[in-house]
Amino acid sequence: MNLEELLYSTYGFSSFRPGQKEIIEQVIAGEDVIALLPTGMGKSICYQLPAKILPDSVLIVSPLLSLMQDQVAQLKKMGEKSVVAINSFLKPEDKDRIMNNLGAYKFIFISPEMLVQPFIKKKLQEIRVSLLVADEAHCISQWGFDFRPDYLRISEILPILNFPQVLALTATATDKVTEEIKEYLALIKPFVYCHPMDRKNIVYDIKKFEDSQEKLEFLKAFIQKFKGPGIIYAGTRKKSQELSMLLTEQGISAAYYHGGMEHQDRVFVQQQFQNGEVEWICSTNAFGMGVHIPNIRQVIHFQIPTSIEGYVQEVGRAGRDGFPALATLLYATGDEALLESLVMDDLPTQHEIEAVFNNGPSATHLIDQGVVRETAFRVIAYWMTKLPLAGVTSQIEQLRKGKRQQASKIRELVSREGCLRSYIIGCFDQQLTHKPDNCCVNDGIDYGVFEAFSYSEKKPIPLDWQERLSVILPI
Amino acid sequence: MLFSELILAIMKPLNRQRTISSPYHLIKGKKSGQTLQDIGYFGLYPYFGVLSKLDKKAYDQVIKSLFSQGYLLANEQVIELTEKAINASIDESPLNGWKYRGNENLFFNRLSLIVQTLSHVSQSVKIFDPIVNNEEIQMWVKKYLQQIQFRDLAVVQAFKNELFTTLSNSAVSETHKMILTERLTGLTLSGLTWQQIATSKKLSVLDVQLMTVEALHSWMAEIEKSKPPLLLGLMEGVIQQSSLTATAQRTEKLFERGFTLEQIASLRQLKTSTIEDHVVELAMNDPYFNFQSFMSQELYKAIISESRHQQSKRLRDIKEHLPDASYFQIRLALSIKEENQ
Repeated sequence: MNLEELLYSTYGFSSFRPGQKEIIEQVIAGEDVIALLPTGMGKSICYQLPAKILPDSVLIVSPLLSLMQDQVAQLKKMGEKSVVAINSFLKPEDKDRIMNNLGAYKFIFISPEMLVQPFIKKKLQEIRVSLLVADEAHCISQWGFDFRPDYLRISEILPILNFPQVLALTATATDKVTEEIKEYLALIKPFVYCHPMDRKNIVYDIKKFEDSQEKLEFLKAFIQKFKGPGIIYAGTRKKSQELSMLLTEQGISAAYYHGGMEHQDRVFVQQQFQNGEVEWICSTNAFGMGVHIPNIRQVIHFQIPTSIEGYVQEVGRAGRDGFPALATLLYATGDEALLESLVMDDLPTQHEIEAVFNNGPSATHLIDQGVVRETAFRVIAYWMTKLPLAGVTSQIEQLRKGKRQQASKIRELVSREGCLRSYIIGCFDQQLTHKPDNCCVNDGIDYGVFEAFSYSEKKPIPLDWQERLSVILPI
Repeated sequence: MLFSELILAIMKPLNRQRTISSPYHLIKGKKSGQTLQDIGYFGLYPYFGVLSKLDKKAYDQVIKSLFSQGYLLANEQVIELTEKAINASIDESPLNGWKYRGNENLFFNRLSLIVQTLSHVSQSVKIFDPIVNNEEIQMWVKKYLQQIQFRDLAVVQAFKNELFTTLSNSAVSETHKMILTERLTGLTLSGLTWQQIATSKKLSVLDVQLMTVEALHSWMAEIEKSKPPLLLGLMEGVIQQSSLTATAQRTEKLFERGFTLEQIASLRQLKTSTIEDHVVELAMNDPYFNFQSFMSQELYKAIISESRHQQSKRLRDIKEHLPDASYFQIRLALSIKEENQ
């Protein structure tokens, strides 16, 4: 069957996005594949479509719980019913039923920590897996910006599954990270698809200020001049609320979004943004996943991002429709100090390392008591099964160095005088082949393009409850 | 009713007898002996569990503002209302917490997902992000929609008509009804967050959340009364048949089979005091509760008259004058509905 036909009959899309077809063809041909595709380029299609052709189950290892939930929801939304998610939220009463029937599911999503449980290992040995998908594969790398030690355990499952065909997916990876993925997943000669990191229609701007008050003044003027839809990444929950209030006071429609809100409120904000009922979203980095809005014109970083990878992911949410989009980073003197502490805060302290060593890798009460933070605990608990105390300490020291490099890349971005575009893609070991006319602040930006965009405000909001109900149910 | 009015409404009967955090436990719907008993003693049935997710910090914040507005006086032990608070008139509220037990959320979650689905499907859109991610509710709604044949536009029309009629007939303000519909979402009009609703009405988030619960209680009462065929289906399992907690029900069964409180405690591996809490709960809920196996008629009468005489329901005050009565007996006597004894 023709792949385009399959795509249309299964998901109703008439054509592939760049890269998808090449990856899918290799997967179907039985090759191991490492695919570097930017967020929003439809990574999940790369295993969803082959699943229609491959005879047995597809096992997807997904490191982030929220991401897993989103992917399961997306698949179900597309009408796929044979989907199951195995994670710590699985209810005991469902667990037996699902595990006894595991092989019957086409798509099995699993978290790394569940993957290595003896009971689950045994079940996995009994079923047939056509394809193992390592999603967000950069989490394997300790150099990556969100290293998950549990993820390394994926290699323990490979022999049990009889070294299945592997598809490793990630949005951001340097050559070094790609090498590590190969090594940990025991991929001998994988097909590597590397999507050009450069997004020609995104223009990179950096504005420098003395303090954060000046940032606010700039923002006030900016939102009057340039139209959305846009996202303002605020850094903290509190800041996202404050900025949203500021915009609202200026008569601009805005809403805030962060992980501390209840589920329904978050869905409401996403819908409002998607429907064009609200022009700006002020948010933490929680916003973006599962949001597929093609016409985002502006991404503003009110606070300095903590890694170049994170920055590129967030900026990459703009301009998916191919029209020009502006990425503006607001920097104030002294932000580096903040950056340093933000980046280093995650790392386990010597005190935490010793606490875990003294109490053992199963002493999760240390987390409840607030002695050791959860992420720190995970990292230490993993390493202490491999290394003695001194080894773990030096391992963490290595991580610290890596983090410092991460931070210095951002500092470099801000202080750079040359082309930002070529610097950014250089961070991913790629070369700039063609430089667009409207490129970055250091090469001069033609803002006129962005002023031309007009935001069409949606029809007026209904005044009473009867009208509201009639708009919701216009029957 | 605003959130601060809710607190004052609860504090009035509790004045000088209970601590400042007792309204918090009541609003949260805490199922402890003390809270459950107080509902009976002080007639606080409407307010039980009306905001089960209430955050202690948010509560403390409101208490602080009640102090600064001159409704409360500093007192280390108990609530002490000012004249201003005692004389404040608080409007009648349609709240019926004891009856609905937080299940208005179940009702409204079902409704939200049904309305969202009907909005999309009736406008030929099949794919959308469900507003409710709880799978149990999703399954329930799926079954319900199939039963009512939701693809038939006449059914959607009928459902909409029922919404209009029953909500029109509900005894709450237009603002209440507006808030409720602002929490509903559809294809071309999205729901609003609590903060957005609160800001637009110059109220606090807690105020609009409380008003939503009021609107729901009133609306559900209207649905129970007028029994519209489609909406009535949403009430399935919403009203609890027994108003007892599950654990008190187990104690009740054992007690009916003739076990003593101590035996029940050891059978259930619970403290005797917990079993006593259950007995108090039984007494509160049963107007014909027979207390004779726990105290004599004379002692019962003595406790009641002492409580009246002192105008207090504080156990310690009564115990001082009736040293022979146990705390359990005093609690039990106070929780029995007097008119039937």
